[in-house]
Amino acid sequence: MDRLIYTAMTAMNAAMDRQRVVANNLANASTPGFRQEIFAVTPATLKDGSLEARALARGNVRGADMAPARVVPTGNPLDVALEGKALIAYQSPDRQGEIYSRRGDLRVAASGVIENGEGLAVLGEGGTPITVPPGFSISLAADGTVLASDPAAPNAAAEAIDRIRLVNPEGSPLAKGVDSFLKVPGGGVLPPDPTARLTSGALEMSNVETADTLVQMIEAQRAFEQRAKIIATAGTLDEAGSGLMALR
Amino acid sequence: MPTSALHVARTGLEAQDARMRVIANNLANIGTTGFKRDRVDFASLAYQEQRVAGQASTGQTAFAVGLNLGTGVQVQGTSRMSTQGTLNPTGNTFDLALDGDGFFQVELPPGGQIGFTRAGNFALANDGTLITAQGYALQPPLQVPAGAQSITIAPDGTVSALTPGNAEPTLLGQLTVASFVNPAGLRAIGDNFLVETAASGPAELGFAGENGRGQIRQGMLEASNVNVVEELVEMIEAQRAYEINSKMVSAVDEMLRNANQTL
Repeated sequence: MDRLIYTAMTAMNAAMDRQRVVANNLANASTPGFRQEIFAVTPATLKDGSLEARALARGNVRGADMAPARVVPTGNPLDVALEGKALIAYQSPDRQGEIYSRRGDLRVAASGVIENGEGLAVLGEGGTPITVPPGFSISLAADGTVLASDPAAPNAAAEAIDRIRLVNPEGSPLAKGVDSFLKVPGGGVLPPDPTARLTSGALEMSNVETADTLVQMIEAQRAFEQRAKIIATAGTLDEAGSGLMALR
Repeated sequence: MPTSALHVARTGLEAQDARMRVIANNLANIGTTGFKRDRVDFASLAYQEQRVAGQASTGQTAFAVGLNLGTGVQVQGTSRMSTQGTLNPTGNTFDLALDGDGFFQVELPPGGQIGFTRAGNFALANDGTLITAQGYALQPPLQVPAGAQSITIAPDGTVSALTPGNAEPTLLGQLTVASFVNPAGLRAIGDNFLVETAASGPAELGFAGENGRGQIRQGMLEASNVNVVEELVEMIEAQRAYEINSKMVSAVDEMLRNANQTL
């Protein structure tokens, strides 16, 4: 049996994995702040002296595509869309360190903690979740400052209680973990971005480009089919070989 | 077998289907007094780690990047958008609208659980108590004496009426308005009623206009805050997202069929 079929098989697996990544991107086309994943296949060459043969395909998820997505106005004052490349720091669900996201559908939980639509607590400048005093109404300034005003004192100026920890991902490694959150691989935090700005009353959507993703889907489909054909051809070659050697 | 692209696409179809249901409910309630539209919150599902970045690829080298495959999307929940609906004048004495935050409290039968509502289309029962269209009494109960004329409900909830034989209006009581730390955490039980949950926090009672509570507008009703154009855009978006996910299902199906036929 020719080893060609194994080469083709790895490529088929890679095409199926690519299709899965594409499917996940498409499924998350409506998840606010979602960053689509990029799949890349690298050849793994088997070397034997001067001979290079059998390039096996090996698929990788090359991290998230951080391109900005469209921003839709929602009218909800606690929905925030980030300008530029800044990210919001959230408390990791396991409370171990920080995770980052562009998702800004914020709300105040019953405990007074500001969290997003996924239930993750927003971190303040000190790295701790921001808690709003009970009964206060809050608004968000363009630099992420959380302003709370006491409804019992309508004439008093709104008090700045904290600032949302907005970070700059520029020049730092950032990867999606198995929990689908962006974090610094191996632990660590991103530096704060004092120039970061946000728009309230708007939400940044997923950056999945459906037309582009559909093309990727067809590409993966056809690649899969081509490789199935290679295996079929290898089978024919094998049969021909056995036929030649058969004793009549 | 790891979750195939087929199942990942299925999660997308299910999530968009749930979103469509919420949009349909919003549109269906466009004429419901005091109705607040729901928004669907999506979240990506867990990822499966096929290969960890940094794992050894050979004896000397390690993979620079990992292979984490997502398993799709889920609807995390719906959040109620509490923006104010339009106040429409009706001229009806017992039509009350809240201009600002807060809820009216109503005793729900059986058991006397308190329901919260912004639908202020009240009426008088035959015994003179103020009740909702379903016949549930407003809390604390407001009793209007027989023969009372020109009942006035002030923005702070003070109810006064002219009674026969009196030149001065009689004070009948003051309506209280409930507010919550997290009104989005209230659970909708239908019939325009919401009930308190652990997420909403307990109701804080007070008078209208106090501590950020809205003022009461007599002779007005709050319309739903559903915006048709917004819902229609959402609807088209959900429809297209559904279509591309179904395309994904057929593409993967084609791949598998091709493998079955070719090999």
